[in-house]
Amino acid sequence: MRLSAYYAYAKKQFLSRSAYRFDHLMGILSTCLQFFIFYEIYRTLYGSKESVDGITMSMITTNFVLSLGLSAIFSPNDYFVPGRIWDGSISTELLRPMSFKGRMIAENVGDACFNLIFKFIPVLLIAIFTTGMEKPAGIGNMILFLISAILGYGVLWTISFLVQMTAFWLINIWSLITIKDVFVNVLSGMMIPLWFMPDWMAGVIKFTPFASIYFTPVQIYLGQLSISEIVFKCGVQLFWTVIIYALGNVLWNKGQKKLVVQGG
Amino acid sequence: MSFIEVSNISKTYKISKRKSGVPGMLANLFVPKYENKEAVKNVSFSIEKGEMVGFVGPNGAGKSTTIKMLSGILYPDTGEINVSGLIPYKQRKEYVSRIGVVFGQKSQLQWDLPVIDSFELLKAIYSIPDDVYKKNLDRYMEMLDMDKFIKQPVRQLSLGQRMRADIAAALLHSPEIVFFDEPTIGVDVVGKDAIRNFIKDLNAEDGVTMIFTTHDMQDIEKTCNRLVIISEGSKIYDGTLDGVRKLHGSSRQLDVYFMNDSEVAEIPDVEIVEVDKRHSQFIFDGKKVHINDLMSHLLGTYNVKDINISEPDIESIIRKIYSREKVAG
Repeated sequence: MRLSAYYAYAKKQFLSRSAYRFDHLMGILSTCLQFFIFYEIYRTLYGSKESVDGITMSMITTNFVLSLGLSAIFSPNDYFVPGRIWDGSISTELLRPMSFKGRMIAENVGDACFNLIFKFIPVLLIAIFTTGMEKPAGIGNMILFLISAILGYGVLWTISFLVQMTAFWLINIWSLITIKDVFVNVLSGMMIPLWFMPDWMAGVIKFTPFASIYFTPVQIYLGQLSISEIVFKCGVQLFWTVIIYALGNVLWNKGQKKLVVQGG
Repeated sequence: MSFIEVSNISKTYKISKRKSGVPGMLANLFVPKYENKEAVKNVSFSIEKGEMVGFVGPNGAGKSTTIKMLSGILYPDTGEINVSGLIPYKQRKEYVSRIGVVFGQKSQLQWDLPVIDSFELLKAIYSIPDDVYKKNLDRYMEMLDMDKFIKQPVRQLSLGQRMRADIAAALLHSPEIVFFDEPTIGVDVVGKDAIRNFIKDLNAEDGVTMIFTTHDMQDIEKTCNRLVIISEGSKIYDGTLDGVRKLHGSSRQLDVYFMNDSEVAEIPDVEIVEVDKRHSQFIFDGKKVHINDLMSHLLGTYNVKDINISEPDIESIIRKIYSREKVAG
């Protein structure tokens, strides 16, 4: 394993992201907009009520700041593989003496670092000063939140990886990526906090990987889970990461044999 | 056991076949039709260390597919490839650190970054030791005359400059084998010459094994000593360049320039190509048609200004081989 090569790719990605300043400002703006739209909707719904079903407005705010914030950090590039298959540049990628998947992760991590510093932190600061966001339930919760957030990244990344692998057969997978995004956005609690889902639906969502992307870290942050529940839910995150990765890997191995290099 | 051993490789693509226009699209939506295209059929060859081999063939003959299988990008459907004990498509990571590939039509440099930054990235990817990197870079800078544009972003380079930068990029890690897929495509005459000389020098000095594909026969004539001709997925010739000439050794070409516009009538056993009204080429087999008879016939019938006899150039020989193959197949 030559880590320096992966580091070089992460750094390259970080630097090339900084090249487009306007895009990055708009990125902060769009995350803020999303947050404040949801925030205002729920504030109106709550009216003067302290809490609904035991969920306070500040918990809602925290859920949105954290899940929208994490999603702004993670944003794996769903077009990494499809784009390279589509224009044929996957051939030059395969000529590098490094793991293609490793290189893919390296670029995503470069992206995530950039997003953490230049997107998440500004949005977090804005939210802290303008809304009543909750503090973490304790230092232990904060640390476990970080661990669980990284595991959540694993789940989201492998879902993206699995979807991208279908591009070996389908070439253009824009619609598949859009469907994936809808599932992730709705079922992860990013738009509607999972507390408010009807029981039957919450029961179904529990068995999908989506709930463990953002909602598990949020629950840990708020101190809603006991230690045994935390261990179990983090285990679920790990379980999904491994299972989905394994599925994606089957497609990856088959896909390489199917690979058609487009354009000469 | 040769350095590169290729035995009976085949590769078939599935091509979606659909009629044009909206009705065709709708029909295809419900009943997709596919056609199998055999890009490479049962090709075998072996290449020794330090050899320089040119692959030629018409468009879509399967040259690039062969190169892509040799460089570990594509899996062959059947058959085997072995390069000094490694199987390219299976031991990809280990294998590709020992080869370099130049695609004439695809740059592997970072579009937005200066050339030198792309080189630095490659240095990290291949873990090239500092001294080797510096030595190679200095050498290629001089051989390929790159100092003028090394600090410019790739997107601002001319095609010839980009090609030279791409070649240097593929060679920075001192590969044992280099593949060139149409390295001179779209490059002007001076640029082509510079690239060919560089390739030749490198082969002579370092003994790097080189494999080419090209449409430009000049590339082959000026660099390679061995030629593999591929047509419609099959290997139809494998041997020296002189060998091809000898295959058609008795063939002669007579260029005749007329004093005034002339219509040339057919002559048995002679192929006539009218270049323009005052210039025609007569191609014939020296064993079948006697040159004296042909000349006296021409001089007697037409008002001739000048005559030039030559062996046909390699390009027209190859063209003949392709067309014969098509008739036979």
